[in-house]
Amino acid sequence: MKKLYTIPAAFLASSLFLTGCAGFQTGNSNDSSTENEDGKVVLDFWTFWGSEIRRPVIEKIITDFNESQDEIEVQHTYLPWGDIWTKELAAIAAGDPPDVVINDINTTALRGEQNQAMNLAEFMSEDDISGQFYPELWEATLHEGDSYGVPFNTDTRVLFYNKDAFEEAGLDPEQPPTTWAELEEYAAKLDVKNGDDYERIGFYPLWGINYDVWMLNANGHNFINEENEVLIDTETNLETLEWLTGWKDKYGDDVINSYKAQIDSQQGNPFFNGSLGMYVSAPTFYTQIRDYADDLNFGVAKLPEMEPGNGNTSWGGGFVAEIPAGASNPEASYEFIKYLTGAEAQEYWAVQNFDSVANIEAAENAAQSDEFTEDGTMVYSMATEYMNDTLLTPVPVAAPDFMGSVNPKIDEVLLGSKTPKQALEEAQADVESLIEKNTRE
Amino acid sequence: MAKTRSAMRRKETMYGYIFVMPWIIGFLAFTAGPLLFSLFASFTDYNITSHMDFVGTENYQGLFTEDGLFWTSLWNTLYYVLFSVPLTTIGAIFLSALLNQDVPGIRVFRTLYYLPAVLSGVGVYLLWMQLLDPGTGMVNLMLGWVGIDGPNWLFDPNWTKPSLIFMKLWSVGGAMLLYLASMQGVSKTLYEAAEIDGANTFRQFFHITLPMITPVIFFDVVTSLIGGFQIFQEAYVMSSNGEGGPANSLLFYNLYMWRQAFENFNMGYAMAMSWILFIIVFILTMINLKLAPRWVHYEGGDNR
Repeated sequence: MKKLYTIPAAFLASSLFLTGCAGFQTGNSNDSSTENEDGKVVLDFWTFWGSEIRRPVIEKIITDFNESQDEIEVQHTYLPWGDIWTKELAAIAAGDPPDVVINDINTTALRGEQNQAMNLAEFMSEDDISGQFYPELWEATLHEGDSYGVPFNTDTRVLFYNKDAFEEAGLDPEQPPTTWAELEEYAAKLDVKNGDDYERIGFYPLWGINYDVWMLNANGHNFINEENEVLIDTETNLETLEWLTGWKDKYGDDVINSYKAQIDSQQGNPFFNGSLGMYVSAPTFYTQIRDYADDLNFGVAKLPEMEPGNGNTSWGGGFVAEIPAGASNPEASYEFIKYLTGAEAQEYWAVQNFDSVANIEAAENAAQSDEFTEDGTMVYSMATEYMNDTLLTPVPVAAPDFMGSVNPKIDEVLLGSKTPKQALEEAQADVESLIEKNTRE
Repeated sequence: MAKTRSAMRRKETMYGYIFVMPWIIGFLAFTAGPLLFSLFASFTDYNITSHMDFVGTENYQGLFTEDGLFWTSLWNTLYYVLFSVPLTTIGAIFLSALLNQDVPGIRVFRTLYYLPAVLSGVGVYLLWMQLLDPGTGMVNLMLGWVGIDGPNWLFDPNWTKPSLIFMKLWSVGGAMLLYLASMQGVSKTLYEAAEIDGANTFRQFFHITLPMITPVIFFDVVTSLIGGFQIFQEAYVMSSNGEGGPANSLLFYNLYMWRQAFENFNMGYAMAMSWILFIIVFILTMINLKLAPRWVHYEGGDNR
């Protein structure tokens, strides 16, 4: 009986040992497969762009790069959005990561801190490209002063409004609301009520974006600052939350829920048929208008400011191209990233996808592009200009998922089971203790 | 005589080992290493890429004493298990009792009720999100026909978990098939004897059918209990931003563990969570196994 157990036990011990080691193997795996028969360096480039619209665009950029020089050959690997980054993490842990990967811009610093992405300082010192990008985007890639990814694309949030509806309601279609007070006033004028039902709703602030964008708009800064100070339970946030619950009380849950369902269904967005006067969304919402409601007469504007002079801050996200830690040919990877985020490739991407890009020159050229229609140019150039008022929300390294402690509290406010004051106090305390816990020792 | 018997015994033992070999090999080659590694790493601040320093029981202490979301997620999961396991078991037995009748077209019904078990995954969840939509969904529309003002289902924290339990009830077909097979195996002579003794259908069901299928009930309860504790996908897909909302009502244990592991990269912490879950499930399964001889009836067996 004793003998029977020795073999499995030895096996167990050895496999434990092996898995234990694998965790730290972030070094190079210099196998021969990184070079092809022509002696070119082969790079594996991971993206989640597999749709019939985006895939051809990114593959054209890759082909152009491959043809532009004879040192490097990039191969595209498409991985679904749902698991690209968990797969990347596993590949990094296994010591055989891809050479370039597209990842979320707001968590770039975290990946730098965790040693998942390569520090680009070494390349930067010789060949600084940071000036090509919107400063806000570039800053989001920094951890302790060094960049860990190069911004690729981005977005912002803008106010779309129905010009015909404005005219009908006696408003000037060239004068969209500029403050929260005007927003309320215009919305009330745009409302069309028939008995208990609405035929048209002027505006509801929590369709298209969430409460945090309004707080960002009001504050002009993030919930947690550089010194890990938590700024959630503030006078401005309280006012914002009360303002938002005011809208909710005005229209009532039934109306809000049924409209929300239509908005979620995309084709049925009530903005398309004029039963919603104003709507906040990313500039790419224009492509839906183009596809589902071509003859809609609409305009775009900045998000209104809380009070005059407060600033029209909007929120944006985006993606970076980065080199995973342990990649075999970082110099070649960096060469490709430079091309990918350079003006030419970026402009092509911007025009073909109607997407905001990180490269300033490319974004400005795209705004002039004659491939856009008149409406397209209007939206795109407005969005490009708006980048200067757009803030990102890079996750604080000390508490990457702190929003997981805030969102439920705000949910409860909107469900009516907490007062705004209670919710903000509790969220503030929870996030403070989270940061305290994570930064201890 | 004694010698040949022991030789046979040994041979049987060997066959036994050969038959369980595929599982043992799979376990040793693929599961055991990571399993023990996770136990070890749960005492470290392992984050996959940059550090793995021994921190003692800090992860476990932090979970029990400082992490409110840990308790929320544990409570949500317990709530779900507590309701979904008995309800789906009773539902499956009820359904299979109905589908065990000899009426015309029974095959069509069996197929229909089994069908949801074939469909699975995200597609079904998206379908249910549409069905349960408070404004435009089919469920509230039909409730409206009989004068019921339906709840907000996935938007009301009090109704989110019941929503998922209803969805689970819809797909009891899989377990139903097991019960049905087991019911068909119950000897007709038992029913005939009961009928002669004057037992009505209900008594036959409770005194013959139920005891005879207890082994399958036992199996079903144990596996669905374990499966219930592992609920993840439903919440990941059906809650707002995959975060477990509204108001954390769908923040299940595994969803929170996933967030710790892959959003915060607190892999050591997440591994500690997985071991706590393992211990909970292990204890419950042990209790189940201990209680089993009291109510599970094995035909022709000596209560093994």
